[in-house]
Amino acid sequence: MFEARNMCSGYGEMAVLKDISFSVKDEIFAVLGANGAGKTTLLKTLARLLPVQSGDLTLDGSDVSATPAYSMPGAGVAYVPQEGNVFPDLSVLENLSIGGRTGHRSKAEKLDEVFALFPRLKERRSQAAGSLSGGEGQMLAVGRALMQDPQVLLLDEPSAGLSPLFVDTLFTSIADTRRDRGLTIVLAEQNAVKTLEIADRVMVLSLGEMHLLRDRADLSMSDITAAYHI
Amino acid sequence: MDYLIFSFSLMLVYIGLAQLLHIQFGMAGIPNFGVVGFWGLGLYGTGVLYLTYDVPLFIAIAMASLLSAAAGYVLALLVLQRSGQAVLAATLALSAIIATLIVSEKDITGGVQGLGTIKFPFGDMDGRNIVFMVFILIVVIALVWLSAKLRDSRMGRQLVAIRDNEELAASLGKNTASTKRWVFAVTCGMMGVLGGMSAPLHQFLVPYQLAPSLTFAVWIALVLGGKGHNLGATVGVFVTFGLFDILIETYAPVPAEQAILLPNFKLFCYGLVLIMIIMFRPRGMLGEDKPRVRARPAQAQGVPRET
Ligand SMILES: Nc1ncnc2c1ncn2[C@@H]1O[C@H](COP(=O)(O)OP(=O)(O)OP(=O)(O)O)[C@@H](O)[C@H]1O
Ligand SMILES: [Mg+2]
Repeated sequence: MFEARNMCSGYGEMAVLKDISFSVKDEIFAVLGANGAGKTTLLKTLARLLPVQSGDLTLDGSDVSATPAYSMPGAGVAYVPQEGNVFPDLSVLENLSIGGRTGHRSKAEKLDEVFALFPRLKERRSQAAGSLSGGEGQMLAVGRALMQDPQVLLLDEPSAGLSPLFVDTLFTSIADTRRDRGLTIVLAEQNAVKTLEIADRVMVLSLGEMHLLRDRADLSMSDITAAYHI
Repeated sequence: MDYLIFSFSLMLVYIGLAQLLHIQFGMAGIPNFGVVGFWGLGLYGTGVLYLTYDVPLFIAIAMASLLSAAAGYVLALLVLQRSGQAVLAATLALSAIIATLIVSEKDITGGVQGLGTIKFPFGDMDGRNIVFMVFILIVVIALVWLSAKLRDSRMGRQLVAIRDNEELAASLGKNTASTKRWVFAVTCGMMGVLGGMSAPLHQFLVPYQLAPSLTFAVWIALVLGGKGHNLGATVGVFVTFGLFDILIETYAPVPAEQAILLPNFKLFCYGLVLIMIIMFRPRGMLGEDKPRVRARPAQAQGVPRET
C-alpha cells in the first residue's frame, strides 16, 4: 500500500508536513492530531491533490509522487474529503454514479450494497445532494467512495459534525466494510476515543510533524494525549 | 419586412450565443466575458476568407470557426486553471485584442472602412434572407436540443461536478483541466459558427460590430432567463432583444424626436430588470434545472420514513 519516506508536502512553496515516514499496510491506519496538525494535508497528499515537495511516496511499490489526482481512483484509491465532499447540484444517485466506473463489479450491484449500508440514501436518491443534512451528506460521500471499489479508502474526519449516536453507526460500518471487503483505510480523526476502538495503528501529528506511530495494542490514551501536546 | 427578418435572424444568433454561454458558465462554471471576440473571429474570419480568398461561404464559416475554437483552446490552456476572476479578465482582454487587431490590420480586415459585401448563399433565389433565417433557426434549435441532451449525459454531470467542486471531481478520476479545455474550445468554436453565419446578415463588416456590448447583452439575457436552466438563455433573449429591439423598436408608436432616446431607455430597462431579478429571483426567471432522475417519494413505495 502507501509508503512515504521523508516526505514533505504543503501548499505552494510552504511546507506543512515535514519529513514524514510511514507505511500503510492492510489495516485501519488512524491519523490523529489537533486542529491544524496536518491531517487533511496528509490525506490530500496521498490523494495526490497536493504536491510531494521532497522525499518519496509510493503505492504498491510504484512511485506516485508526481501522479495526478485523477489517476488515483484507477490505482484503487478513494478519497473522502473533510468538507465539501458532495456535489450539491447533482442528485444523490448522480453523486453515487459519478465515480463508480472503476472496479469490475456492476454499478447496480455496488449501488445495492451502498443502499444496504445507508438505507437513508436510497430514500433520498433523487434529491439534490445540496439539500441533505450534514450526516446524510457524510453517508453519501462514504457511499460514493465505496462505489469506486477501492483498495485504499482515505477518510478525512468522517465523524465531524455528526451526532454521537451516528458516529457509532458510521464507525461500525467502517469497521464492517473493512472486514467484509479487506479494504485498507486511512482515517484522519479528532475523536481519539472512537478511533482507538477500530484502528490497528495510530499516527499522531502535531504541527506537521509525526510524533507517534504505534500499534494500538501498545498504546494508551495518555501516550496520545502526550503526543498531542508536543 | 427585410429589416424584421434581419432582426429576427440576429435574435436567433443571440439565442445561440446565450445558449453556448449557458453551457460554458451555467454548466461548466467558466465565466466567458469575451463572447464577442469568439463570435467576431468567426464573423471576420468568414468575411476575409469569402471576400479575399473566394472561399465558398459555408466552407469559410467552418474554417473561421476553427479559428475561434483554436483561440478558445489556447486561452483555456493559459488561464482556465486559474481563478474565475482571471478567466473573466483574460476573456474580456482577448475580445478587446481581437477588436483592436481588426482595426489595425487594415490590409486584411479593411480596418475602420470595413469589409463587404457578403452575399446570402443560395444564388439569386427570391427570399434568400428568409431561407437563411430558417437555416439559422435550425442550427439554433439543434444547439438548444444538444445542450438539453448534454445536461442529462455523463459529460453534463461531469461538468456540473467540476463546477461544484473541481478538486473533488479530480479525486473521482476526472481529468478536469482537459475536460474544461475541450468543452471551452468546442463551444467557442460554435460561437465562431454563429459569427460566420452573422456575416451575410450584416453583409458589411465594421469593427464597431465587435464592441463589448454584444457580450453584455448575451450575459444579461442569460442571467435574466436563468443560467442554470436550459431554456433560460432563450427566454432571456426574447425578453431583452425580442421585446426591445424587435417589438418596441418596430411597432411602438414612438414620436421621431423621442426615438433617439430609445436605446438609452432600453439600457435603463435592462438595468432595472436585472436589479429586480438579482434581488428577487437570483437564479433567473426560469430558476434552476432540477436533477433529472425522479423517483416517487419513499412513502408511496411503502417504505416507512425514519423519524
Ligand atoms: N489552502 C491552504 N493554504 C495554506 N495553508 C493551509 C491551507 N490549508 C491548510 N493550511 C495550513 O496547513 C496546516 C495544516 O492544516 P490541515 O488542514 O492539514 O490540518 P488538520 O489537521 O486537518 O486540522 P483540522 O482538524 O482542523 O481539520 C495549518 O497550519 C493550516 O493553516
Ligand atoms: Mg482537517
